[in-house]
Amino acid sequence: MRVLKKVKEKLKKIIPSRLTSLRSLKSRKKKAPVKKTRRAVAHKEIPSFQETIAVNTKFSHPETARSWNAMPQDLPSCYDQDKIVLQVRDPRWLHTYWEIRNNTLEELKGRLGEEFYRAKKILRVYDVTNIIFNGSNANSFFDIQYNDFATSWYIDTAGPGRSWCVDLGLMLTDGRFITILRSNVVQTPLDCPSWITDEEWMIPDDIFARLYGMGFGLGRSSPVGGAWQERVKQGLFSSGISSSPVKKEAKPRSFWLKVDCELIVYGATEPDAKVTVQGQPVNLRPDGTFTLRYYLPDSRQVIPVRAVSGDKIEERVITPIVTRETR
Amino acid sequence: MYEAITETYVPLISVFEGLVADGIDFRMTMTLSPTLISMLSDPLLQERYLRHINKLVELSQKEMERTKWQESFRRLAEMYFNKFSHARDMFQRYACNLVGAFKKFQDLGKLEIITCGATHGFFPLMDVCRDSVRAQVRVAADHYESVFGRRPRGIWLPECGFYPGHDEILRESQIKFFFTDSHGLLHGTPRPKYGVFAPVYCKGTGVAAFGRDLESSKQVWSSIEGYPGDYNYREFYRDIGFDLEFDYIKPYIHPDGVRINTGMKYYRITGTGNHKEPYVPEWARDKAAEHAGNFMFNRQKQAGYLNELMDKAPIIVSPYDAELFGHWWYEGPMWLDFLFRKVACDQDELRMITPSEYLLENPRNQVITPSLSSWGYKGYSEMWLQGSNDWIYRHLHAASDRMSELARAFPDAQGLLRRALNQALRELLLAQSSDWAFILGTGTHTSYAVRRTKDHLLRFNRIYDEVKSSSINESWLSDIEYKDNLFPNINYQAHR
Repeated sequence: MRVLKKVKEKLKKIIPSRLTSLRSLKSRKKKAPVKKTRRAVAHKEIPSFQETIAVNTKFSHPETARSWNAMPQDLPSCYDQDKIVLQVRDPRWLHTYWEIRNNTLEELKGRLGEEFYRAKKILRVYDVTNIIFNGSNANSFFDIQYNDFATSWYIDTAGPGRSWCVDLGLMLTDGRFITILRSNVVQTPLDCPSWITDEEWMIPDDIFARLYGMGFGLGRSSPVGGAWQERVKQGLFSSGISSSPVKKEAKPRSFWLKVDCELIVYGATEPDAKVTVQGQPVNLRPDGTFTLRYYLPDSRQVIPVRAVSGDKIEERVITPIVTRETR
Repeated sequence: MYEAITETYVPLISVFEGLVADGIDFRMTMTLSPTLISMLSDPLLQERYLRHINKLVELSQKEMERTKWQESFRRLAEMYFNKFSHARDMFQRYACNLVGAFKKFQDLGKLEIITCGATHGFFPLMDVCRDSVRAQVRVAADHYESVFGRRPRGIWLPECGFYPGHDEILRESQIKFFFTDSHGLLHGTPRPKYGVFAPVYCKGTGVAAFGRDLESSKQVWSSIEGYPGDYNYREFYRDIGFDLEFDYIKPYIHPDGVRINTGMKYYRITGTGNHKEPYVPEWARDKAAEHAGNFMFNRQKQAGYLNELMDKAPIIVSPYDAELFGHWWYEGPMWLDFLFRKVACDQDELRMITPSEYLLENPRNQVITPSLSSWGYKGYSEMWLQGSNDWIYRHLHAASDRMSELARAFPDAQGLLRRALNQALRELLLAQSSDWAFILGTGTHTSYAVRRTKDHLLRFNRIYDEVKSSSINESWLSDIEYKDNLFPNINYQAHR
């Protein structure tokens, strides 16, 4: 443990400056304009979808694309595979990363010629809820145009409780979409109670509403749906390592000074003598010296130091008197 | 780790010992993660802990001397002297291995010890490589069995992270139950009839899921209204490691002179400002008793109310980080002690129960599919999947795929090859620890987390290459077997 901490501290000292310079480089690189297009297959549109994308892209993870390029050079930059992976971040957001073999790209270039360079790089996000997806039967889909440097992306689905699949491909100038990679299928979780009830275990809505609110520790009358939002607002999450339940007082950023006093009483005598300080026996070092250290509150301290020779014949007493007064 | 032993594990064991000695019946469910068990059982760590606790005893003796003109502090120094001496005695009494102590209370039927992911990988972000989830569970369950002599009945999913379908992997390892955060059950499908106040069985596997009750959590956890913030309780952030004169405290802090916590803290929380008054143990003790009474009273009210709504016995699941008790909340173990005693002696509406016991008594439960969930920030995966840490997953997943490939290619490796494959799995498991992603996510000490992630992955990749090209370098392998020596009896076939 100690060693780890030591390493941590050392690294901390060395790294920061390097990191910042890297970061600025990266963010510059990332600024390629991001445009998003979408087409709905059916009219199952999610309201105000385009705004959500635009807004969220700005805020969410400005460093997304930088991380991969800039991270530890000694891990391989790719694993020689054609692969796109889709993961769920929360009821609304997905994360995807991908890798395309050079050969695969070369083949495409060969096949498409000039078209390859004119095509837009697209992530096509399919809603495949309750279907077995065959490439053309999605409930709906939307497209995201990604920039040249990206190898990963966060996708705002705005769709809790639905299944998703992503194709990475090219949108040719004539509007044709060519799939290069297809992801796994994932399902976003619900962000409210399911509307599906089980006949055998049915419960009246009002009672469930009460149990639901109670489950979140929000009393007994929280309406269904509101409780989760309430919980997110209150931040009632505990994640072990990081957060202490014990409140740390915010230190005011004002100038400050702390002063305290300790008193060191030290001396020396014959190594075989017996010494007491304020009546308490003191252990001597082999050379006959001793040191005592006291917290010194505002007070007057009378400190008789008494030494008796080893043969108990002689005695010496020295009594320092110390007064601390703090103004 | 040392702090956890002195401040949490030893005090908890003391509480259990006292309860058993007084004939008080109690129940508690506790996770001992495979890594914690390994650390507690490691002779090198045990030796170092003894050295560490001896230094604390020495420091507290010096402190008793130093504060002798200031009675309110001197008695606290003495309190710590007693505490540290007691910790040292107990540690030695259990032959320096506290796992034995916990096992004792499990065997007495008071404590139910459950397991965790082998290296605390965050399962939802391993879902694309379920073999890795399986390895995390299998290695943990096998390790548990080797220590406790039976299979674990339950698991605390790392960070409470559940992804639908992982119950199947638990079932394969004969694990009967796990826990989700409240929304894991409440947002499950179909709707759970009793909310979080009864367990459910996962559809298709029958593994039981218990949902966390937030009302009782909040009473203890909340930094605003929770018990630990009471002004009479000990202030965590005023440690003599930071407060005392440098030369004096130097032998007891970090060897490089970096000030750290020693565990000796003299103040109570006092109030919202920076001014702190000396800690008064008697006041804190009274508060702990009062808070235990309050907690019990609220559970009684809660249970009474639930009884009206439900036609079966409600269960209230209140999980907390072990280190809350004693480490963060100094009076936590004392509070637990009061609570156990009050529940056993002062009332008959509530009963302490372990999940296994509840399931035995209430075998009929609703079948649903719990929702993806965790108890991390915002309740899902964001803490471990954001701009600062998302780069790790392509490497982790690639390594997982490679591990599966190796495990299938060599169903029964022997000798050097077997050693290499076992080490490959160790490195992969270590790389998967969610701590790295978490640290990267918080933005402090990130270089350490980057280093650890990279080290383990690079070692894994080298083993992979060497195995693939039949050119295993034995001396290098021995070296990393020595460096990353977790799970000596690991079997790489767990990853498939």
